[in-house]
Amino acid sequence: MKKILNVLCAAVCGGAVSLSLSISTAQAQEWPTDDVRLVVPYGPGGTTDVLSRRVADLLQEELGTNVVVENRPGAGSTVATGRLARGGRDIDHTILMASPGHTIGAAIFPDLTYDPVEDFVFIQNMIDIPNVMVVPADSPYNSVLEFVEAAKEQNMTFSHSGVGSSIHMSGELFKTLTETNLTAVPFSGSGAALPALLGGDVDVSFENIPTVLSHIQTGALKALAVTSAERSEYLPDVPTMNESGEYNLDQFITTAWFGLIAHNSFPEEATAAMQEALQEVMKREEFTSFVEQLGAEKGTIAGDEFKAFITDEVARWDEVAAKAGIRQE
Amino acid sequence: MMKFHSTGGALIKDPWDVVAGVVLLGFSLLLLFHLVPNYIGQPPIMQNPMMSPRWLPTIVGWLLLMFSVMMIIQGLLVADDAEDSGRRFERGPWLRFALMALSLVVYVGLFEMLGAVISGILATLILFIAHPVRTWWIYGLAIVFPVGVTLLFTGVMNVPLPMLPF
Amino acid sequence: MENITEVLQLFLATENFVAIAVGVVVGVTVGSIPGLTATMAVALALPFTFSMQPVAAILLLVGIYKGGMYGGSITAILIRTPGSPASACTLLDGYPMAQQGEAKKALKMALYSSVVADFISNIALIFFAAYLAKIALNFGAPEFFWLICFSLTIIISLASGSMVKGLIAALLGILLSLVGLDSVFGSQRLTFGNYNLMDSISFIPLLIGLFAIPEIIEFYRKKVVPHLRAKASGAGVSFSEFKGSLKSIVRGSLIGVIIGAIPGTGATAAAFISYGDAKRRSPHPERFGKGELEGVAASEAGNNGVAGATLIPLLSLGIPGDVITAIILGAFMVHGLTPGPILFQENLPLIYAIFLGIMLSSVILLFVGSAAIRYFSLIADIPKSILFPIVLMFCVYGSYAVNNDTFDVWLMLAFGVLGYVFNRTGIPAAPFLIGFILGPMFEDNLRRSLLIGSNDLSIFVRGPITWFFIALTVGSILLATYRFITSWHKAKQSAGKPGAGT
Repeated sequence: MKKILNVLCAAVCGGAVSLSLSISTAQAQEWPTDDVRLVVPYGPGGTTDVLSRRVADLLQEELGTNVVVENRPGAGSTVATGRLARGGRDIDHTILMASPGHTIGAAIFPDLTYDPVEDFVFIQNMIDIPNVMVVPADSPYNSVLEFVEAAKEQNMTFSHSGVGSSIHMSGELFKTLTETNLTAVPFSGSGAALPALLGGDVDVSFENIPTVLSHIQTGALKALAVTSAERSEYLPDVPTMNESGEYNLDQFITTAWFGLIAHNSFPEEATAAMQEALQEVMKREEFTSFVEQLGAEKGTIAGDEFKAFITDEVARWDEVAAKAGIRQE
Repeated sequence: MMKFHSTGGALIKDPWDVVAGVVLLGFSLLLLFHLVPNYIGQPPIMQNPMMSPRWLPTIVGWLLLMFSVMMIIQGLLVADDAEDSGRRFERGPWLRFALMALSLVVYVGLFEMLGAVISGILATLILFIAHPVRTWWIYGLAIVFPVGVTLLFTGVMNVPLPMLPF
Repeated sequence: MENITEVLQLFLATENFVAIAVGVVVGVTVGSIPGLTATMAVALALPFTFSMQPVAAILLLVGIYKGGMYGGSITAILIRTPGSPASACTLLDGYPMAQQGEAKKALKMALYSSVVADFISNIALIFFAAYLAKIALNFGAPEFFWLICFSLTIIISLASGSMVKGLIAALLGILLSLVGLDSVFGSQRLTFGNYNLMDSISFIPLLIGLFAIPEIIEFYRKKVVPHLRAKASGAGVSFSEFKGSLKSIVRGSLIGVIIGAIPGTGATAAAFISYGDAKRRSPHPERFGKGELEGVAASEAGNNGVAGATLIPLLSLGIPGDVITAIILGAFMVHGLTPGPILFQENLPLIYAIFLGIMLSSVILLFVGSAAIRYFSLIADIPKSILFPIVLMFCVYGSYAVNNDTFDVWLMLAFGVLGYVFNRTGIPAAPFLIGFILGPMFEDNLRRSLLIGSNDLSIFVRGPITWFFIALTVGSILLATYRFITSWHKAKQSAGKPGAGT
């Protein structure tokens, strides 16, 4: 019954703990005044979901309130994001774990009902997962340049985990920058895509590092380059795309980012409280080891910096989607 | 010709099949000539016609067309096995059926508006009245279950069912 | 020797046993509630495993997975509402059995069959993981394509009654499965601009609608009939009945193992393939779909056979075959373990401790399942006038729970009406489901093969696995044609005889 009561309270006086409190004291009280809702725009089981549940677990200790994870999958992540943008009840206690789907979705679906930048408050980037360009072990190519030169001569294929995934878009970005003949081969999820790469059915993939790390370590896959700005601590011997230097590859920096956003009416003090709590969460030993096990890196940007990053991402994927012909008209 | 004895003299052996066949025929035509060209986008460049998003829907459309014609023919010529299909039954009072339809409407139309608990109670009560259930305490279940199950879903399973209308 | 003591040390902890037991109980309970799936339960349990020992954490999740796989069959049999998608096939014969007062027999058979299949699947995991993983790696798009073609031929054996209607049902299933974003180009197909349809039609609302709702509509359209007591305390499965179905169970388990070892097919397809196979081999296929015990056995063997085998690509290659194994992969990672060949080299005792636990989970499933049957079979005694309104409520809430969206409630009721129309016109629902499950796999793998082979069709005959499945497909079609012709001849003869005699 507590839940019903809570909803009732929230509806009546904007999230006060009890009806007996007057409106003024309710406002004076520090955020959070109610359970925090963490919306996962994907179904259970993916990286976004696992990360959100870990963050929620630690965050409720820092905030001293329940953090309830809620899955609302659909159309990339645009269904949940659209819902958030529309606002509504409890909007000052609702946060969403956004990921590349947020910016790529905006590029692929032109008739979105929301603006991916202006309709939201960008709280904190939690983790970054860089991608790595991998080829099967018996592939004749040992560097990015060798691969690009070969791909200019003949048709090559790359596997990805679904239209509009960051893995797909990375491949399309590579194709546009290097002007090579790459064909996208879609799979439903990385789990299904991996055997095709391991078995040599496709020539290359731009997978998330954690997905393929153990295969690189056992030698089943060859890593040609990582897509982050600096070398990854997990693969210190693998050069960055940037180091390859040629074919515009210095512009090839993509990471799968995961960060918390909220509706743009999210109170300022709430953003501040969230950022403070999240800083504490990110310092925790549990979070550090979790991030390491994911093969990820801790996010560094928050607030305006985070927003500027999103703005750039939206513009970039917009261009790639248009060139690759995967924009819905 | 044992099979045909039941409706021996009639012109159409199985009217249900003919009706269903005609509806399907219409649907497959709609699919082929309206839905596929208008509601399935096709990229401008393709190396192979089999790659087109329209390829499989078109094939399905033509096959449906073919089979619906066969179904019409079958309906005209072959009677269905009466003991097999369970299609025949004694129809109950229309009020019973109408109340059932009403309870579905409650779920369809009012679920989000009234919340899971109230629409659940309402629809369950309607269905109990429709039967009609004559044991009075059973009606208590119509309140106990929606409330209990909603709490189970929201509290334990973390499903954010719409709660109350305000 | 050292290793054995280490394995036992890891395994013989109270925490492990509690984890397995809790997991199986939660799995069976959640699995039996329509709309609440084992996937959701595993995701919800994940945060609890963060603070547990790795072995106990994995076993808890595996327990939920296995329990959920069985639990779905309970409601499928009792109220024609598959608790989880994989048990959709079980209801084809399970529900008719319950209607004939043999609910307990169906439930028991489902349990025994599940446990046996589970056990076989575990054996495959423990002893043949490396070998099966190799097959999985050689299973590329063209091989997959032929496997799907072979599976599609099963529609022919599932179309009871009219072949034309069965094929129409399958075509409609395929058509509906194509709704959503195109997997290659990302263009919209028949979504009519509705964003809810972009991720294609959700399977669970479709299932619930197609099976549970028509039953409810029918009940309120018919004249009131006195309630048939379903003999909840009635007969279980006799040993000779079990032995009679054992061949189907073993075959179904093996089908499940193979399907499970290949990432991306799933337990639902395995159940249908096993069911179709059992029906084809049965001396009396006409009884399937009307309450044939062997049908229940075969489909439950098929879906539980998958449960252990999906761990094969996960543990040996680090590749999750479905959502649940993806979550289990996450649980491994949280404890600093990366499934894959390295895990076998570095943490062999841990793997074996997990294997022991998985074996134990099959035994626990037997006990938990028996207890569950005792209480759940009471449902069969509840008059339908009370049961159905509550079932409808579960259907609505459960459909909502899939995507937390009211749209799925509408979808579920729409499929309910479609299912009712299917019943009235005699269009069978099983081929519709097969079409819906296999349609996208057919198309995706066809196009994938073309993309990989750069439109060179020779890729479709590239190796022994493709030849094998081509042979099976052709054989299956020939067999069906042969049977069709002989049965047609027989019908003609028996129809001709009385006419000729008089």
